[in-house]
Amino acid sequence: MSESVISKLHTMLSSKQLSCQELTETYLSAAGRDNAALNAYVTLTPEAALASAAAVDKKIAAGESIGLLEGIPMTLKDNISTENIRTTCCSKILEDYVPIYDATVWKILKAQNAVLLGKTNMDEFAMGSSCETSYFGGAKNPHNINHVAGGSSGGVASAVGGRIAAYGLGSDTGGSIRQPAAFCGIVGLKPTYGAVSRYGLIAYASSFDQIGPITATVEDAAIVYDAISAYDAMDSTSQGRKGAPVCDSLKKDIRGMKIGIADEYLDGVREDVRKAVEQAAEVYRSLGAEIVRFRLPALQYALPVYYILACAEASSNLGRYDGIRYGYKADNYTDVNDMIKKTRSSGFGDEVKKRILLGTYVLSSGYYDAYYKKAQNLRGTIVKAFRKAFESCDVILAPTVPMTAFENGKAASDPIETYLTDICTVPVNICGLPAVSVPCGFGNDGLPIGMQLIGGSFCESTILNAAWQYEQAADQYRPAGFGVTL
Amino acid sequence: MVDKEEIMKIAILSKLFVAEDEIEQLTEDMAKIISFADTINNASEEGTEFDNINNLSNVLREDEVVPSYEREKILANAKDSDEGCFLVKNIMR
Repeated sequence: MSESVISKLHTMLSSKQLSCQELTETYLSAAGRDNAALNAYVTLTPEAALASAAAVDKKIAAGESIGLLEGIPMTLKDNISTENIRTTCCSKILEDYVPIYDATVWKILKAQNAVLLGKTNMDEFAMGSSCETSYFGGAKNPHNINHVAGGSSGGVASAVGGRIAAYGLGSDTGGSIRQPAAFCGIVGLKPTYGAVSRYGLIAYASSFDQIGPITATVEDAAIVYDAISAYDAMDSTSQGRKGAPVCDSLKKDIRGMKIGIADEYLDGVREDVRKAVEQAAEVYRSLGAEIVRFRLPALQYALPVYYILACAEASSNLGRYDGIRYGYKADNYTDVNDMIKKTRSSGFGDEVKKRILLGTYVLSSGYYDAYYKKAQNLRGTIVKAFRKAFESCDVILAPTVPMTAFENGKAASDPIETYLTDICTVPVNICGLPAVSVPCGFGNDGLPIGMQLIGGSFCESTILNAAWQYEQAADQYRPAGFGVTL
Repeated sequence: MVDKEEIMKIAILSKLFVAEDEIEQLTEDMAKIISFADTINNASEEGTEFDNINNLSNVLREDEVVPSYEREKILANAKDSDEGCFLVKNIMR
C-alpha cells in the first residue's frame, strides 16, 4: 500500500528515531552518489540544508512539536527563485544568476523549516517535454536511465522518483508537472490557475504557468498543496485555496462519484496506455463510482491553441533578457543593439529561439488576427466545452501522456512530433483547471504509465480524493532502484 | 508558406541573429511549426470571446512608497555597472 513519504519521515523525526541531520545527510549522500546517473540536480545546497536541519533538531531537542513539512528534505525546480542560491532556468543566459528574493512558495516552505537539498534540472525555460533542452543535459528516468525523465520538470521527477528528494515543486505550463511525474511513476499535481502564487517563478507563459507538487504518493501531494495554496498579494492572479484543506477530504468514500471519460482523450493513444486507463475505470467502478462516457470535440484545437498562445506570451516574457541587468552578456559587440542580439542569440538554446520566433510571428502585424486572436477565441470555446463536461461528471479521467518515457535523444528529431505528445496535458492549462497525474501501471516496455484526473476550477479536493482512492485500491507505485530506502 | 526572408524579418523583431548555416534548417522547422499553428484556421467555428480564466479581475492597490531592494544587491547580477547604474555602451553620440 502506498504510504505517505512525508508522514513517515515526520514520524521518524518527531519520535527521535533519527535526527534531522542524519536524515539530511542520508539524502545528501544519496543525491551525491545517484546524481551521476540521474542528472536530476543542477545545484546541490548542502550547507543550507544542514543549517535548516540543525534548526529542526534544536526544536526537537527542546521538546517542541514540529510541523509536517519541517525537516523534510526536498527540492525545487530551477525556475523557482531562491535568494542567494543560483537559479538558472537551465539556460546559458541565466547560468550565474543569483536571485535577491525568494519565490513565495519557497518563502512559505522555508518558514516551515523545509530542508532544501538543491535545485533541479528542467528543459530550458520550461520549454520541452524531455528535459533534453536543458543547458546542463537532460535528467534521466530512474526506472531506466536510457530513457528521459520527461519535461519540463524532469529533474524534480527524477529526484523524487529516484528517492533523492522526499518531494519537490515543479511548474506546469502545458504538462510540465504531470508528464514527468507520469514518466517517472510518481504523482504530480497541477493546481487551478491562481491557487498557488507564481511570484518568483521565472515566467514562460503567464496565463498558463502554475506551480505544484511532485511527490511519491497522493497524500504527499495533498500535504504540500495545502501548505503552498495561499493568497499572495505579490501575484495579481493569486486567489489561494478555496475551501477546507484538501487533506480533510482525501480519504472520503467515492461511491456515486461521476467519472467522465472523453473518447477524444483516448484517440491515438498507445494500446498499453489505453488499456491501463480503461482498467483504472474498472477500479473506479468497483469502488462504486459511475463511469460517464462523453465527447469533447473542442480538444482537437487544444495543441495549436496552446502553442500559439504560450509562445506569444513567451516572446514577450523573454524580451527582458538583454544582458544588461542580469545573466549572460556577449562580448565583442559594436553597439547596444548588437550586444542585445548577440547575447540573446548565444544565450538562448534552439528550442527557446524557435518559440520566441513563433510567438513574435503570431503577434506581428498581418498575422495577429489569423493566429493570436483566433487562438484566444478558440481558447474560449475549449473553456466552455470543459464547463459543459463538468455538468455531467465530477472528474475527467484521461491518460497523462499517450505513451511512456521516450528513449534518450529520440524526442528532439521532429519539432511537431514532440509537440503532439502534449495532447493530453495542454487542455487543462488552456482552461486553468486542476489535474493530478497518478501512476496506473507499466507499459510493455516496463516503464511507468500515468493517468490524470481533471477537475473543475478549485476542485483539488475532489480530484485528490479520487486519486487517493484509486492509489489505495490499485497500488501501482513501484520504487526505482535509486536513492534512500528508509 | 513561410520563407527565409520572413524568418529573417521575424528574427530582427525578436532581436536574434540567425547564422547563415542555421537558416535552412530553421526555416524548415519554422515552416512545419507555422503550418501546424495554421490548423486552427480550418476550425469550423469562430470561437467565442475569451477574456480571462477563473473570473479574474484587475487588482489595484494604493500607490504607497514601500522599501525595495538595495541597489548594490540588484547591481550584483549585472555584468557591468558603474556609480550605482547599469552600464551599457553609449547609445547617443
